[in-house]
Amino acid sequence: MTARARLALLLLFGILLPFPSLADSGDAGALNVSIAVLDSGVPADRSLHRDLKIFPRIRDIESRFLPFVLRETLVNTGQWGAVRVVSEPDPAAEVSISGSIVHSDGERLELRMRASDASGRLWFDRNFAASLEEQQPDTGDPEAASPFQPLYDEIARALRESRQELGEAELLRIEEISLLRYAVELAPSAFGKYLETDEQGMYSLRRLPARNDPMIDRIERIRLTEYVITDTVDAKFRELHEEIASTYALWREYRRKSLEYEQQNARRAEQTRSDATRGSYEAIENLYDNYKWDRVTSQEQDRLAIAFDNEVGPVVETMEARIDELESWVDDKYAEWHRLLEELFEAEAELNRVGT
Amino acid sequence: MLRSFYIVAWCVALVSCTPARPVIDEQMMRVDGEMPADFSGSWERDYSRGDDVNQVLRDIYYYLSRTSADRAFTTRPGPVQPSSREMDSILALARLAELITRPQVLTISQNDQEITVDRKDDFSLLCAFYDGVAKGTDSDYGTEICGWDGDQLVSHLILPDGLQVTHRFTVSGDRQQLRVVTTVSSSTARVPFTLSRFYNRFERLPPDFNCIETLSMKRVCSTGEIEL
Repeated sequence: MTARARLALLLLFGILLPFPSLADSGDAGALNVSIAVLDSGVPADRSLHRDLKIFPRIRDIESRFLPFVLRETLVNTGQWGAVRVVSEPDPAAEVSISGSIVHSDGERLELRMRASDASGRLWFDRNFAASLEEQQPDTGDPEAASPFQPLYDEIARALRESRQELGEAELLRIEEISLLRYAVELAPSAFGKYLETDEQGMYSLRRLPARNDPMIDRIERIRLTEYVITDTVDAKFRELHEEIASTYALWREYRRKSLEYEQQNARRAEQTRSDATRGSYEAIENLYDNYKWDRVTSQEQDRLAIAFDNEVGPVVETMEARIDELESWVDDKYAEWHRLLEELFEAEAELNRVGT
Repeated sequence: MLRSFYIVAWCVALVSCTPARPVIDEQMMRVDGEMPADFSGSWERDYSRGDDVNQVLRDIYYYLSRTSADRAFTTRPGPVQPSSREMDSILALARLAELITRPQVLTISQNDQEITVDRKDDFSLLCAFYDGVAKGTDSDYGTEICGWDGDQLVSHLILPDGLQVTHRFTVSGDRQQLRVVTTVSSSTARVPFTLSRFYNRFERLPPDFNCIETLSMKRVCSTGEIEL
């Protein structure tokens, strides 16, 4: 391809992308939120899993499942723009939420959650916990609100309070920085000059691109395209949620019952402790049985974990494969867009030089 | 004469089972490379072999009467009847050993990291190795550790009040026979109680159905591939 033809192609690429304005980014209060799949919180040391009663495969599924409950909670508040579940934390998102599962056993859920905005401002980084005994009992009904809904409500409240501390101008600035951070990743030559970072990693604007800068319009267009894919990924998380919600509710219920059995075992051990003469058959049988029932309860949980994975594993694998395809497509396109935008910027700069 | 031989052999076994030295030491809890023996499969109890509980009890009674501390306080020559308290402790161990070794079938699954011995009406014995080191199971009610003594798999359960249960698994060279020696000891009994059980391998018939466990549908079976 000749240089002239290549330039024509690049300009055509530029023309095909319409020109929305940086300032027309909508309601400044309704920031878009990206919720990343959670860190499962599974220790790398496999020998600890049994001691901590962690089932890695189920934690892995929970890490994809629980963010969707938060997403639904935020959407239902009507206080946010688009709320999306994404595979990886998106630092350029207007509001980025990430976190990890600290504890999840059906009776108590504890999450470590971190929220920040595109400027690098930390909104919060703390633990949120809820126990079933403090809430309504788990009916096992997937249609009912999550038994840990108060935990998600608390996260939503923390987000709202953080946002309320910011003025209109700051909120607008977050949107602008978000777009420019995205733009810098795609076309650093064109947009690197607009942003600066301080030692704390906080982003601020040096200046804004011109309202009619065609490059920024292309960036917005590309971002919208990426949002379409992100929304498709998000839809896959929604499908996963719908498909496994009832099974997950059952798992949570079984897990809670196992904890009840553990408490029963403890009561039984306490009751039989001093009844029999030391060394008698009754005494040593009690000691053996105490251990036996504790192990049987624990091994029953292992069996249930396998049953859960048997049931939802294929759904999760299919979803993961589809998300991988979509993200792989985005990665390929991203590289292509990056190259094209850099070349386009060069070409336009060259044209401007020739023009002047 | 034969009886004396058995007594001597039993005493040697007894000394080797004395809980003074650890049943499983650190060296036994390490595996370099492959597991030393393969126990995987289904095993059915061979009732024609193995210890008779009453005979073991008689041997212990005989041993205790010969070694009783009460002998020092009597001028009468010969054996002294063990105290009823001592015999009660032994009987308790015997009953527990009999209960623990009752399962007719053992199902053992084994891979590079784990050996699981499933027993009906009891918990499964688990021996898990992470990075070549056996990881015990610890709870408020006891501690379970395992290891290899040569090509014998040793599972050791330590319970409160000095109660201990040890299983030694040995598989024959042709992997057709399994021997499990179970020892129950307690701080209240002067000697442990040991029972040997023998098992023969059997092949389970290939199932007509493929089955998996699920949470919502329980057991799901199909003659073909299972699609949920």
